[in-house]
Amino acid sequence: MRLSEGKIGQEYFVKDISLDMPVKRRLEILGMTGNSRVVVLGSKKSGTKIIKVRGTRFALGAEFANGIEVEASDKKEEGGR
Amino acid sequence: MSTEINVAFAGNPNCGKTTLFNAYTGANLKVANWPGVTVEKKEGAMSYHNQKYKLIDLPGTYSLTSYTMEERLARQYILDDEVDVIIDIADASSLERNLYLTLQLIELGKPVVLALNMMDIVEERGMEIDLHRLPEMLGVPVVPVCARKRTGLNILMHAVAHHHDKAFDRFEHHHQSGEHEHSHHDEYAMVYSDEIEDKIDKISELLETKYPDIKNSRWHAIKILEADREICERYPLNLAGIADRSFEEEIISQRYDFIEEIVSEVLVNRDKKSHSTDKADRIITHPIWGGPIFLGIMALVFFLTFTVGDWLKGYFETALEWFSLAAVEFLTKVNAGGILTSLLVDGVIAGVGGVLTFLPNIFILFLALAVLEDSGYMSRVAYVMDGIMSKIGLSGRAFIPMLLGFGCTVPAVMASRALENNQDRLRTIMVTPFMSCSARLPVYVLLSQMFFAQNAMLAAYSMYVIGVVVAIVVAKLLSAFSKKHEVNTLLIELPEYKSPNLRNIRIYVWEKIRDYLTKAGTTIFVASIILWALLNFGTSGKVDDMSQSFAAGIGKLLVPAMTPAGLGYWQIIVALISGIAAKEVVVSSMSVLYGIGNIASDAGMSSLAAVLSASGFGAANAYSMMIFCLLYVPCVATIATIHRETRSGRWTLFAVAVQLAAAWIVSTAFFTVASIF
Repeated sequence: MRLSEGKIGQEYFVKDISLDMPVKRRLEILGMTGNSRVVVLGSKKSGTKIIKVRGTRFALGAEFANGIEVEASDKKEEGGR
Repeated sequence: MSTEINVAFAGNPNCGKTTLFNAYTGANLKVANWPGVTVEKKEGAMSYHNQKYKLIDLPGTYSLTSYTMEERLARQYILDDEVDVIIDIADASSLERNLYLTLQLIELGKPVVLALNMMDIVEERGMEIDLHRLPEMLGVPVVPVCARKRTGLNILMHAVAHHHDKAFDRFEHHHQSGEHEHSHHDEYAMVYSDEIEDKIDKISELLETKYPDIKNSRWHAIKILEADREICERYPLNLAGIADRSFEEEIISQRYDFIEEIVSEVLVNRDKKSHSTDKADRIITHPIWGGPIFLGIMALVFFLTFTVGDWLKGYFETALEWFSLAAVEFLTKVNAGGILTSLLVDGVIAGVGGVLTFLPNIFILFLALAVLEDSGYMSRVAYVMDGIMSKIGLSGRAFIPMLLGFGCTVPAVMASRALENNQDRLRTIMVTPFMSCSARLPVYVLLSQMFFAQNAMLAAYSMYVIGVVVAIVVAKLLSAFSKKHEVNTLLIELPEYKSPNLRNIRIYVWEKIRDYLTKAGTTIFVASIILWALLNFGTSGKVDDMSQSFAAGIGKLLVPAMTPAGLGYWQIIVALISGIAAKEVVVSSMSVLYGIGNIASDAGMSSLAAVLSASGFGAANAYSMMIFCLLYVPCVATIATIHRETRSGRWTLFAVAVQLAAAWIVSTAFFTVASIF
């Protein structure tokens, strides 16, 4: 599934990023490397997300979130809405 | 030791770097630009134990790639040998991400001292960091500090003083799992996989043979393996058989693997407590409540800036009036002569003083913005407003300058600094002046009361709507013409909420005020004199009758051009030209040009209306003039601010041209349609 479809409070593993190279690199540098964990903290209808990667929160536009392939982990973050 | 030690401050955005830098230097700093670019460069000086230090605040970056201007600047500055020690500021509460930059800084080969900031948050959350193991694993001194509470500052400088000429320690890696030992790498903290290390070795050798002067060939070799554009262009090599593709993904991944190893060893009790920021964000960035909360906060900022600010501004204006009268009295006493008196009083004092009266608004506005920025709220605005703004090709944060534009264009354009992307900033600066500022209101009031009687309110209100519509159209056009295909590029860190730091706010506000004062003293000073000369001089020298002035001559020249817009009257054109000094001036110029005293009174208005109607200037002309006033160049102060903010004469000219074109096109279109009926 894509990160843009992610549910609030759910943890995901990053599987693949299919975005322009500079954007992909930027995301990797921010910690979104293969198999890294991402928790969705906030979400808008458009697919724009607030996520937490390696302890840092980011707001991520819908188009970016849509280019990130993820897989749900079985962990639900405590305190999810 | 007598020579200065250069200390560079490096760190991620939002790591508290500026707070720490401010804690050392105070307001005692030089703000300039990095050569050739619009990225701010801050420098400060201090001494510690009789040793002088020059402190340089590098741009906040997450990494040292060549993808962004800031990163290229930071790494080039460090490589260029001007730096003796790097203080790497890391947000200890977000160690995992912050260490990524640390590893790269260490790879640059300069002495690094790691300052672990925000240790208070770490403790608050019940986490602990092993301050013994961390320096062991990184090979650099680690000093815990709290920039906000100003603790640990002395120890940090002590570490800098003792470390600035130290060589690296040797490492005993225990994360070796490769087939062959890279024992010659035990001076490096970060050792990559055997495959990568072999390639680094080969490329280093090639580099050293082909470019014997190269310093730190290992770093350059890593960059070449990452296919870093800048480095690959500067040091072209034949890499056939060594690296036929970019290994950046593997390198990034391995760095994070090492970081995970560090974090698992040094961080105890990670994330025991639920973060208060997450709780606050649940409300503040709520899909439904986020918008209203933001509008409420902006309403408060607006109220403070323009209601409280205008109240203070009244006192400034009274003081200015008094000063200007005193100046006339003084100049008469010393027999300064009519021209000099007029120049000083009508030109300089009226022009510069008029701009200075905005100081209370600017002060309050930036105080409020500084609080929003420092508390961490500003980044949330980008998220909350992203949906609406991206529809017109602007970033979510552009909403703030545009909203402020309803108050005054000058601080609004200055507020565009909150936008991190240069392209977004320029576009925001282009559209902000179309928001109808408060100075344009007197023009609407005068014209609509004269020509629209009971519909006056509606006529004035419609100006605000037209302004917004034009802004949207221009924003759309600008993004349609921009070369790149723009996707929704929202990618921004949402830092922890914190209570604002007084020292940071004081320095932030003072910088803005100083900027504004400098501008009033230079650009506006010159512009005021030019406008004064145009309005007071003619071919026969100083003229008392404005109809003989150069401005009137220009006005008469422009009559044909303005006739399609229903504004082909030289007096109106001169009034509009004088309005470039400040929009309110349009009203006072009209009263002078048509020889009508107390123009704002009922009697004054009806006699002006009579004069205008007699010359064929009716309701359609009046509405067209209101549109023109709404859209054309707001004022000299705005032009000067746009120039200061874009630092480009071309963009400033473009902005002025767009404004004039928009004003002419829309008012002409309106007048043409209105003339049919």
